Amino acid sequence: MYRYIYDEFTQDKRFEKDLLNIENRLTDLGIAGKIVRMALFRNVQEMVRDEIRHGTTGVIAVGNDETVHKVIDVISGTDVVLGIIPLGGPNELARMLGVPDGVAACDVLSARIIEKIDVGIVNGKRFLTSLSVSKFCSELTCDGTYRVTPDVEGHLEVRNLAGDASRNERISDPTDGRLETVIRVGVKHGWFGRRRMCESVLPLTQLAIRSEKPIAITADGEEMIGTRFDIGIEPSVIRVISGRGRKF
Amino acid sequence: MFNRRDEQMHMASSSGQETIIAQGVKVEGDFTSSGDVVIDGEVTGSIQTAASLRVGETAHIHADVSASSAVVAGEIQGNVRIAERLELLESSIVHGDVDCQTLSVAPGAKINGRLTMGGEGKE
Repeated sequence: MYRYIYDEFTQDKRFEKDLLNIENRLTDLGIAGKIVRMALFRNVQEMVRDEIRHGTTGVIAVGNDETVHKVIDVISGTDVVLGIIPLGGPNELARMLGVPDGVAACDVLSARIIEKIDVGIVNGKRFLTSLSVSKFCSELTCDGTYRVTPDVEGHLEVRNLAGDASRNERISDPTDGRLETVIRVGVKHGWFGRRRMCESVLPLTQLAIRSEKPIAITADGEEMIGTRFDIGIEPSVIRVISGRGRKF
Repeated sequence: MFNRRDEQMHMASSSGQETIIAQGVKVEGDFTSSGDVVIDGEVTGSIQTAASLRVGETAHIHADVSASSAVVAGEIQGNVRIAERLELLESSIVHGDVDCQTLSVAPGAKINGRLTMGGEGKE
């Protein structure tokens, strides 16, 4: 039986009609279940943990990327299936998994195509999509054996489940047990010194960023500031419901 | 627009678990990979891959290199050990011993080192 975790912002009046349609569709499909509402001063993780203890087989996050992020720590490594009903935004993760917004997501849940995907970890915090550092010029230690340094300031992205096909970017595979590390650097080219973007791609399982000055990294939309970041991967720890239009 | 060299270089590439070290990036240490490797940047230390290696024109490698097959258009300072086919394009420069099964050298390619062929390159 599924447990539907409604994010706090879904209580807003503008989502009232969407939620009503979703609940009706779930009942029609025979997959309606207990609704748990997030609220201020209620520990989401404790609530989800409680539901898992009571034997739930699936947790459905109703909300945006942040809602999913709030429940992945509890679900990781368990047999519980994670589903998403995207409402509001941003919903990058749902898009990558091929889950449409709103009521259409109910049919994806009903079809129940399950994928086991990897989860990235940075300084003990899990991330599902990607981690990025703009103005990156620090040293990167890769798999503990070699170091990579950009010649000039560039952009670093560590992808688990990310990539924009419309911008000709490769979609990283979250089932391969590796994090796709992309470093983009502008290199002077030709007589007039025009800058051309050069992209390095490294499939890694472990990497470390060491910087003399504090730098800001953004993992799943959440910012972290520091001088030391240890990044790793937990392979196949989350079972997610994906749609036929998944991007990987 | 691709010239012949680019076409040859592109033939060696493939998708999948491919590592690309582009221009503007420096790598130091023991680099090991199980997939295809493309190098256009600077590498110091050692390079080892179980698949194919492509060294671009802008690459500067100060390392011992070991791969299953390789196409080289840049500069390598170190010993090159290739299990199967090694292709040196016209802009390639190798300062070191070369050990491979099959060798193709384009006019203009430079090799300064001992050349061993036929079986000893296999690990």
